[in-house]
Amino acid sequence: MLEIKDLHAGSEDTEIIKGISLTVNKGEIHAIMGPNGSGKSTLSKILAGHHEYEVSSGSVTYNGKNLLDLEPEERALEGIFLGFQYPVEIPGVNNAEFLRMAYNAKRLHKGEDEVDPLDFDEILDEKMKMVEMDHKYKARFLNEGFSGGEKKKNEILQMAILEPKLAVLDETDSGLDIDALRIVANGVNNLINENNALILITHYQRLLDYIKPDYVHVLSKGKIIKSGDKGLALELEAQGYDWLTTTTN
Amino acid sequence: MAGALTDEVKSAEGGFLQLHKDYLDANSLSNDLLEFNKAGIERFESLKFPHPKHEMFTFVNTREIASTEFALNPGGTCSADVVKNHVYACSEQSCLVLVDGVYQPELSDLSALAGKVELADFEKAFSDEKLKQSLVESLKKETDVFSALNAAFAKQGVFLKVLPKAQINKPIQVLLVSTGAEGKPAMSAPRFCVHIGKHAEVKIIVKTVGDGNSYFSNTVQDYFLDENSSVIFSQVQADSKESWNFSKTFVRLNQYSRFKSTHAMAGSKLTRNNYQTHLCEPGAELTMNGVSVLVDKEQVHQYIQVNHHAPNCISHQYFKNIVNDKSRASFDGTVVVDPGAQLTQSDQLINNLMLSDEAHADGKPNLMIYADDVKCAHGNTVGQIDDEQLFYLETRGLSASVAKTLLTTSFARSIIDTVEFPEVVEDLKSLLLSKLERNHA
Ligand SMILES: Nc1ncnc2c1ncn2[C@@H]1O[C@H](COP(=O)(O)OP(=O)(O)O)[C@@H](O)[C@H]1O
Ligand SMILES: [Mg+2]
Repeated sequence: MLEIKDLHAGSEDTEIIKGISLTVNKGEIHAIMGPNGSGKSTLSKILAGHHEYEVSSGSVTYNGKNLLDLEPEERALEGIFLGFQYPVEIPGVNNAEFLRMAYNAKRLHKGEDEVDPLDFDEILDEKMKMVEMDHKYKARFLNEGFSGGEKKKNEILQMAILEPKLAVLDETDSGLDIDALRIVANGVNNLINENNALILITHYQRLLDYIKPDYVHVLSKGKIIKSGDKGLALELEAQGYDWLTTTTN
Repeated sequence: MAGALTDEVKSAEGGFLQLHKDYLDANSLSNDLLEFNKAGIERFESLKFPHPKHEMFTFVNTREIASTEFALNPGGTCSADVVKNHVYACSEQSCLVLVDGVYQPELSDLSALAGKVELADFEKAFSDEKLKQSLVESLKKETDVFSALNAAFAKQGVFLKVLPKAQINKPIQVLLVSTGAEGKPAMSAPRFCVHIGKHAEVKIIVKTVGDGNSYFSNTVQDYFLDENSSVIFSQVQADSKESWNFSKTFVRLNQYSRFKSTHAMAGSKLTRNNYQTHLCEPGAELTMNGVSVLVDKEQVHQYIQVNHHAPNCISHQYFKNIVNDKSRASFDGTVVVDPGAQLTQSDQLINNLMLSDEAHADGKPNLMIYADDVKCAHGNTVGQIDDEQLFYLETRGLSASVAKTLLTTSFARSIIDTVEFPEVVEDLKSLLLSKLERNHA
C-alpha cells in the first residue's frame, strides 16, 4: 500500500528526515515511536502533502502512484488521512457543516451523490456516538475552544466519516486522560480492518496497550534506528530512548 | 461678487459653488430651507476640500470628486422594480424610500408604523424655528466638508420621530436609491434624521443602492436616542460600482440608551463613511460591527469617532475587512474618553484579511483617555489566509479553492451573523460572500 524509500526531506536548508524507508501493507498497524524532535510529525505531514516541506531525494509510492505528485486534497480523496498532533482551530467554520463538506467531497470523488444536511445528520450522530462526543460539538466552530481530548475525538470522528485506506495518527494519545484514551483507542480499533492500514505515531507505549501494532519502529534524528515487534515498545517503556540513541551515535 | 466667483470657479470648490447657484436658481425654496442651505455652502467654502494630508482623510483621495463636474439630479423617479428588489420582506409595511435624496410617499409604506411614529418632510420640519436654529448652529461647528456640502444641497429629506414607549417589531427600512444622470454624473444629498423617544425600541435598516451607473451620493443621517431607548441598526451598502458614496452618521445617546449596529459594505469606486457618536449620559451603550468585502479596485474607508462624555458607558467596535485584487479598506477610529467619564469600558478591534499583494488595508486606531478609571482596549491585525488552516482543510479532501472560500467566508460571517434580520443576512450572503466564491487558484 505504502512504500517509502530512502526519503530525505526538510524545510528550506534544514534536513529533518534523513533517509527513511518503510513499507506498510494492507491490514497492518505500524507504530512509530521516538523522542521529541525526532521528525515524527514532519514525516506525517510530508505524507499528507504539506507544502512547507521539500523532498530532496527518495520516493513515496502509494497504491502504485507517486504520492509526492499529488496535492494534499488528492491524497485525502485517495484515502490518506492524517490525524493531527495539534488540530488547528478554525473560528467561523461550523463543525457539522465542515464534516459534511469533507464527507461529500469524498463521495463526489467516488462518483456518488452528495448527501443533504438531514441525511448527513443521521450519519454524524452514529459516528459521534462511537467516539462518545456530545452533540453540542456539531454547532461549534471547528475545534475552536475544544479541550485537548475533544480535539482528538474530533480527529477520530473525521477518520470515521472519511473511512481512510491509510490513516496516520500523530500522537492522538497525547494530552488524553485515561477515559478519553480508551474512547479514542476503541474508536480507532472499530475503524481498522484487513482492508486498511494504520501508522500510529506515539511518544508513549500506553496507547499500544489498546491498539496492538504489528510492527514498531523507533525514529531518532530523522532516521529509523530500530524496528521490531510489540516487544520493542515494551523495552522502550522500561529503558527509555537513551540506550538506543546513545548506542547508535 | 461676480469677479470673486469667476476666480473661485478655477479652484476645486468652484464647480460646487456654481452648482449651488444653479440649485438656487432651479428651486424655489422656502426661506427656512434657504437659510439652512446657505449656511451649508458657507461652511463648505470655509472648510474646502481636504488637502492630501488632512487628518480626517488620511487614506481617502478626494481629488477626483473635487475635479469632477457634477449635474444636479432633479430626482424623484426610479423603477418600481428597484424598490421591490431592495425592500426586505420584513419591512414591506415599514419602508421609507428616498430617490436621490427626495422622499417618495408613493413608493413608501408606513402602514405598520401607524400611531408609533411621526414623519415630517424637510421643509415642514424647518418651520420649527428651534430645530432649524440648532441645525444651523451645528453647521458652524461642522468639521466634515462633505457633511457641509450635504447641508448646502439637502432639500427633500425626512424627519422621523419615534414616539416615546413605542415598540416597533418590524424593522423600519430606509431605502436610498441613487440614479445616474445622462452625461455628467449626478450628485445627490440625501438627509434624514431619526429621533427616538424615551423607552422606545426600534429596528432600522438603511440600504443604499444604485439605479444607474455613475453618481455621487453624499448622505447625512442623524440618530438622537432619548433615555432608555434602543436602536438595532443595520446598514447595507450596495451601490453601483462606478459611484462615489460619502456619508456622515451622527449618533447621540442619552441615559441608558442603546445603539447596536452592523455596517456591511460592498464597496464602490470610493466609499467613505464618517460616524460621529456621542455617549452623552451615564449608562449608554454603543456596539458597532462592520464588514467590508472588496474586490477589483473597490474602496471603503471608515472614519469613526466614539466620544465618551459621561461615566459608566460602554462602547464596542469590531470591524473586519477582506481585500482582494487592488482594493483598499481603511479604518480610522478614535475613542475619546472625557475627563469625567469614569468607569468607561471601550474596545475596538479591527481584523483585515488580505487576499492579494496589491490590496491595501490601513488602520489607524487611536485612544484619547482623559479619565483614570477606565477599561479600554484596542487592536488592529492584518493577515493572510492561514497556511495551517488551509492545509488542515485540504487534508480532509477539500480543494485549495474551496478551502480558501470557506476560510474567507467564515472570516466575514462572524460579523454577518451578528445581523439580527434574517432577510438581511441572506442578502449579505449574496452581496458579500458571493464575491469570495471565485477561483483563488
Ligand atoms: N517547518 C520547519 N522548519 C524548520 N524546522 C522544522 C520545521 N518543522 C519541524 N522542524 C524541526 O524538525 C525537527 C522535528 O520536528 P517534529 O517533526 O515536529 O518532531 P516530533 O514530531 O518527532 O516531535 C525539530 O527539530 C523541529 O524543530
Ligand atoms: Mg510531533
